[in-house]
Amino acid sequence: MLECREITKTYGRKTAVDHVSLQIQPGKIYAMLGPNGSGKTTLMKMAVGLVKPTSGGFYYNGQPVGQNSRREIAYMSTEPYFYSWMTVGDVGKYYKDFFEDFSEKKYEGLLKRMELTPDLKAKALSSGMMAKLKIAVTMARNARVYLLDEPLNGIDLLARDDIIASVIEAAEQDVSLVISSHLVDELERVADEAIFMKESRLVDVCGVEELRMTKGKSVVERYREIYGHGGEQTWEN
Amino acid sequence: MEFNPALPIYLQVMTMIKRDIVTGELMPGGKLPSVRDMAVQFAVNPNTVSRVYRELESEGICYTKRGMGTFVTEEPEVVGRLKAEMAGELMDQFLEGMKRLGMSGEEVIQLVKERTGC
Amino acid sequence: MGKLMKYELRKTMFSKAVLLVITGLVEILYLAGVFLKWDKGLGFGIMGLVLCASVGIFYIGIESLLIWHRDLNTKQSYMLFLTPKNSFQILGAKIVENGLSLFLAGVFFALLAVADWSIGIIYIGGLEEFISVLQDFARSFNVNLEIPVWDILIAFFGCIATWLLMVVTGYFAILLSASVLAGKKFSGFVSFVLYMVLMWADGLILDLVPQLEDFKLQFGWIIAVSFLLSAVYYLISGWIMERKLSV
Repeated sequence: MLECREITKTYGRKTAVDHVSLQIQPGKIYAMLGPNGSGKTTLMKMAVGLVKPTSGGFYYNGQPVGQNSRREIAYMSTEPYFYSWMTVGDVGKYYKDFFEDFSEKKYEGLLKRMELTPDLKAKALSSGMMAKLKIAVTMARNARVYLLDEPLNGIDLLARDDIIASVIEAAEQDVSLVISSHLVDELERVADEAIFMKESRLVDVCGVEELRMTKGKSVVERYREIYGHGGEQTWEN
Repeated sequence: MEFNPALPIYLQVMTMIKRDIVTGELMPGGKLPSVRDMAVQFAVNPNTVSRVYRELESEGICYTKRGMGTFVTEEPEVVGRLKAEMAGELMDQFLEGMKRLGMSGEEVIQLVKERTGC
Repeated sequence: MGKLMKYELRKTMFSKAVLLVITGLVEILYLAGVFLKWDKGLGFGIMGLVLCASVGIFYIGIESLLIWHRDLNTKQSYMLFLTPKNSFQILGAKIVENGLSLFLAGVFFALLAVADWSIGIIYIGGLEEFISVLQDFARSFNVNLEIPVWDILIAFFGCIATWLLMVVTGYFAILLSASVLAGKKFSGFVSFVLYMVLMWADGLILDLVPQLEDFKLQFGWIIAVSFLLSAVYYLISGWIMERKLSV
């Protein structure tokens, strides 16, 4: 299980994440919701040790996250990060070199679904294709925890279905998935739980079905309550 | 596929499967897709589909063979029961709408007769 | 760490290939000078080869600093820091790869110099005089040249070792600006000043090696102290990375 306790990150005077405590249970899909700048990205980066917290910490199976937890936690960042000389095939080879849980076969299958070929230059990909490549190489790992930062950002509707399908396929009993987005309705039906972030703080964690059953309310409505507007209208930039 | 935001998703998926059974899209004894395939097909959470299968089982509409998957029941009265159940629900909605319009029972019967030509 | 080193090598492959091609062209110029008794070719060839060796070895160090800067300050950093490797392995792979590259480049240019020199001696003397030249030089080679060759070699590798120390000091300064000083005003300037101060400190420590009668021993000491200081910078850097570095 992945969890953080009272984790805080400040950059100079700005607070990016403010005393957040959260538990990510196996077998569940989490939608991490909130507008840009609400702390979602920083929180995810701390979960893999890319960003070091100012105080508090992230723990995986009781141990502070770091080198060992990265074997089992797959993180996909919003921004492209591959080396400029790499082709789609090279990206796969790189992951194979470093991650024991990476499956070349799974990667091949995902590339086919995403309509990418190994000879394509990563640098020359359109933003939509780059988003598909990132998801393909991340989901080709058989990780225990997947942290996907804005996987649906800048992606056309058809490709969104492909990405959502690959996410659903990865959801096993002992696997947790955390997907951040500001497109709330896209994630509502896929998620077990919704995590609401606002102004660096964790506002609420609630079960999607539970919300509908006990309050007759969708996540989109809850989102509107918290932020004063529907998530579907906020776009990056 | 759009879901009603006020109702639990699992209930809505259950209704769809029931409808498929009544219309014969899913035959008695027929195999339902695996949880994962069903989840991908409806683009919903796999845990939601598991719950759907569990609920359908407890209602006697489906049964699970170990290691084989989930199947639609072969008991003939189940389809009849589902049909009656769904017809009842539709009727409730219809009558409530009519009532709101201020239609009396007789007027409704008259309208139905005209429409269906009976 | 082998996998990490493989990709460090991959990042610098292009410039190393360019260096090799330029060296090859200059070598052809030199050999043309030797075989055709073309003095301009010979002169420019020798100058070119000396330039290739010095600028090449200098650039291999500089490039690794540029890559380190990019690996810390751009999104490319995720490639390294998402892997199940710790900071010591990540930085270690870079230092070892760069150290080996510098050393092997040194060996390569040293061997090339020896080969070119021998070829020059043999051919410029003319084929007729070959035997007598060989005899003369074989004698003088054994007596006169053995000691200077070793002295030159150890001084050369001493320079490479101190250059590696400067590069590792640079790693440390760049790391400081990306970690402890990150987001602060003038972090680039501060780390540059710090680099200058550290280099000066490195120099002071290296000056502690006394002037020894034995030239080889003195340079042996300089190499050892350079390696030791590099190791100290490496350990401090790794420690800071594990605790303070956010990419």
